[in-house]
Amino acid sequence: MHHMTGPLWGNIAIIGIAGAITIGCFVAMFWMIFRPGEKDPRHCKNDILRPDR
Amino acid sequence: MQASAAASRAIGQVEDDRALTAVFTAYVTTATIWLVIATAVGLLLAFKFGAPDFWAAKYLTFGRLRPIHTNATFYGWASIGLVGVAYYIAARSCGTRLYSTRLAWLGLALFNLAAIAGTIALDLGCNDGDLEYREWPWPIRLIFLAALLVTGWNLIGTVLRRSSEDIYLSNWYTIAGVLWTCVIATVGVLPWYQHGLGQVAISGFYMHNAVGMWFTPLALGTFYYAIPKILSRPIYSYALGVFAFWTNLLFYPLLGAHHFLFSPLPWWLQTTAIVFSVAMLVPVWGGSANYLLTMRGRYRDMIHSYPLMFIFVGVIGYLFGSTQGTVEAFRSMQAIWHFTNFTVGHSHLTMYGFVTFALWGGIYALLPLATGKTAGRIGLAAHFWMALVGSFIYVISLSIGGTVQGLDWLHGLPFIQSVVDMQPYYVWRGVGGMLMFGSHLVFAWNVWRMTSGQPGNAASPVLDADATGEVAA
Repeated sequence: MHHMTGPLWGNIAIIGIAGAITIGCFVAMFWMIFRPGEKDPRHCKNDILRPDR
Repeated sequence: MQASAAASRAIGQVEDDRALTAVFTAYVTTATIWLVIATAVGLLLAFKFGAPDFWAAKYLTFGRLRPIHTNATFYGWASIGLVGVAYYIAARSCGTRLYSTRLAWLGLALFNLAAIAGTIALDLGCNDGDLEYREWPWPIRLIFLAALLVTGWNLIGTVLRRSSEDIYLSNWYTIAGVLWTCVIATVGVLPWYQHGLGQVAISGFYMHNAVGMWFTPLALGTFYYAIPKILSRPIYSYALGVFAFWTNLLFYPLLGAHHFLFSPLPWWLQTTAIVFSVAMLVPVWGGSANYLLTMRGRYRDMIHSYPLMFIFVGVIGYLFGSTQGTVEAFRSMQAIWHFTNFTVGHSHLTMYGFVTFALWGGIYALLPLATGKTAGRIGLAAHFWMALVGSFIYVISLSIGGTVQGLDWLHGLPFIQSVVDMQPYYVWRGVGGMLMFGSHLVFAWNVWRMTSGQPGNAASPVLDADATGEVAA
C-alpha cells in the first residue's frame, strides 16, 4: 500500500462506519424504488400538473 | 364591483407573466451568448494541442484561454441559464409571480458583470493562479457571490408567496443549490485558506462542489419539474427525490479531496472522500431510477419530443458520468487517470452530457410555455444530433487517449511518448468539438426563434397524456 494512504486500521474504521451508513442508504433507496406508494391523487407531487395559472 | 376586481386581477396576472417571460428570456439569451463564446474558445484550445503555435500571441496562449473557457462555461453559460430556468420553475410551481422582477434583473446584471470582468482579467493575465475554477481575481468572484445572494433572496421570496402548503421538490434543489454555493463561494475567498495545504483542501472542496452542489442540484431540480410537465405525469417517487436530496447533501461536500489522493492532505480525508464517492451512488442511482421510471412506457414519445430526448440524454449523462466519478475515485484508478485527459473527458461527460443537456432540455421544454413560440423541428434535430455525436466522439476519444497516456506514465516511458500516443485522440477531440460548437450555433438560432424571431414548426413541448391512455395520477 502507498505510504500516504494512512494506517490500515484507520482506513478500516472509516470504511466500516461510512460503509454501514452507505449500505443503509442503499436499502432505503431500493425500498423506495420498489415500493413508491404515493397513490393519493392529492399528493403534492400532482400539484404542478395543474394549469400554470 | 366583483367583476372589475377579477378583471384587474387578471390584468395583474398578465403583467406578472409578461415580466417572468422577459426575465426568463433574458437569462437564456445571455447564457446562450456565453455558451457560444466559451465553446469557441474551447474549440480553439482543442486545436492548439495539434498546432501549439497557431495564434500564439500572448492574449491567445493556452494558459490564458483555458480558464476563460472553463469559467465562461461555468459562470456564464450554465449558471445564468440554470438560474433563469429556476426562476421560471419557482414562479410556476408555486402558482405565483416572482418575488421581485427588479432583483432578478439585478442578479442578471451581476452575473454578466462578473463573467465579463473575469474574462477580460484572465485574458490580460490577471488571475488568482492555479485555483481551479477560481482563476477569476477574488474581487470579481465577490460580484458573482453578490449575484448568488440576490438570486437566493428572490427565489426564497417567490416560494414564500406560494398558495400550496408544500414546497415542490424542484425548489428544494434549486434554492438549496444557490444557498450551498453562497457558502462555497465564501469559503473560496477566505484569505487564510489561500496558501499551503489549506489551499489544496479548499481547491478540492470548491472545484468539486461547484459542480456537485451548484450545477447538479439546479439541473436535477429542472428534471423534477420538466419531466412531469412534458409527460403530464407526476414524478415516480417524490419521497425518493427528497431522499436523494438529503443523501447528496450528506455525501457530496467532502468528495473534492479525492482529486488529491497520494497528496499531503490528511489520509482520513482522502479515505473519507473515496468512501463517500461510493456512497454517492445512492442519490445518483436513486435519482436516475426516479427519472427513468417516470418516463417508463413513454420512451416512444421521444420520437415526437426533442425536449424529452435532451432530458433523457441528460439523465443518462448524470447516471454514467457520476458513476464514472465513483470509479475514478479509487486509489488504484487514480494512479492511472490522474492528470491525464481522461479527467477532461469525465468533466465533459458530466458538465456537457449531464448539465448542459439538462439545461437544453429545460429550456426547450419551458421557454415555449413562457413565450408561446417553439423552435423549428429541423433546428431541434440538428442541435440534438450534432451535440450528441460530437460529445460522444469527444468523451470516447479522451477516455481512450487518457488511459493510454496514464499507462505510458505508469510504465515509465518518456513523457514525449505519451504526447505522441495522444496525437490521434487530440484530432478526434477537435472533430467532436467542431460538431459540439456547430450545435451551439444552431441552439442560438433556436433560442432566437423561441423568443424574438419567427416561431418554428415544432409541436408544443407538453405531450398529450391521453396518447397512451394515461391520465396524470
